[in-house]
Amino acid sequence: MASILSLRRRIRTAGNVSKTTRAMQMIAASKLKKAQDSAVLSRPYVEKLSALSKNLSGKIETDNLHPYMKENGLENTLYIIISPDKGLSGGLVSNLTRELFESTKNKNDIFITIGKKAEPGVFSLDKEVLASFPFGTSLPPFETVYPVIKLVNDYFLNNKVGSVKIISTKFTSVFSQEPVIKEILPVKFEEKSEGTNGMLFEPAIEDLLPSLLEHYIEMELYQNLLESYASEQAARMVAMKNATDNAKEIIKELQLEYNKIRQEKITNEILDIIGGQFAYA
Amino acid sequence: MKLHLEVITPEKVILEEDVDEITLTTATGEISILPNHENLLTKLMPGEMTIKNNGKEEHFAVTGGFLEVSENRISLLAEYAVRASDIEVGKAEEAHERAKRKMAEHKNDNEFRIAESELRKAILELKVARRNKIRTS
Repeated sequence: MASILSLRRRIRTAGNVSKTTRAMQMIAASKLKKAQDSAVLSRPYVEKLSALSKNLSGKIETDNLHPYMKENGLENTLYIIISPDKGLSGGLVSNLTRELFESTKNKNDIFITIGKKAEPGVFSLDKEVLASFPFGTSLPPFETVYPVIKLVNDYFLNNKVGSVKIISTKFTSVFSQEPVIKEILPVKFEEKSEGTNGMLFEPAIEDLLPSLLEHYIEMELYQNLLESYASEQAARMVAMKNATDNAKEIIKELQLEYNKIRQEKITNEILDIIGGQFAYA
Repeated sequence: MKLHLEVITPEKVILEEDVDEITLTTATGEISILPNHENLLTKLMPGEMTIKNNGKEEHFAVTGGFLEVSENRISLLAEYAVRASDIEVGKAEEAHERAKRKMAEHKNDNEFRIAESELRKAILELKVARRNKIRTS
């Protein structure tokens, strides 16, 4: 019987697949711990920084705005889209791409991609892609933000785009990561709050604000990188776990079929022998 | 009346507790903050931070960042902060040497910038650790 051989081959293939996916699951799981820690532990810093920047921005005179706060009236947007370099991470990349398609409306939008997996989606839009950076497969170092920020400054401060937005994946838990869009420039400030008068600034607010805002933009971008990295590892771990489970399920089914056929074959052989004996007798 | 102090770095929340007094280096010089201090926002310079609480003193090495005082709540956002007693002098010395070497090589601006900040951090750690040692001995 030919199928017994092919069944055996299929069982072996499924076994190999499950070994590979299991290894990938373990790798992702080991990276996840560190990734999750750095993403979650740095959140309070960025949140506080964000609150501080917005609060402070609201206290400055309107004719004295920092360039980061000025709206220039342009309608196009510079998108920074952050994705993994590698696939096999479940719906992470397709969710990201869907978010991208939904949000980009203006045909003069410009893109910066970080991570290879975002590139096909962005290229298919047929819009200007300013730069593509690799994301890497380990925890992104802080230096990653410098070249991106340089481009952002070049485009935003020279009035080539009206706003700058980051599309990335927010890490909510191991089982849930959502694509998010965040506008980082211009910095939106809160309306002048009532606590305006009681605050002392050293040095003067005009000297303080630039370094604060610059630091804020850098940190905001970096935080998004960290969140994306943690999301990637979590998504991959879950996807690979499912793949391993599925492979095991397939092996089980195939094994059952294989056993049945084998048994059938043996029964037939016994019947043949007995039949032969009867014919002889 | 106490001050509620939060020290937050990108790595983690280093400290969150009520204290009596805090002394640190800002862009305009060293300042001490006592309860009921006027609301303040200032830029932090790399240096030592001293916290006084119930008569006990604690020392930290803090790199640059921002400090906000608002209604007796102090938020300190620092790029890096470490308790003086946790500084490992050997490691800091090593980092110091490494950063100096890297700066001498300086391949490109980015690497130079990183090495420079590493160097500053190492020097600061060594300084604070040394002062801490003198105080405790």
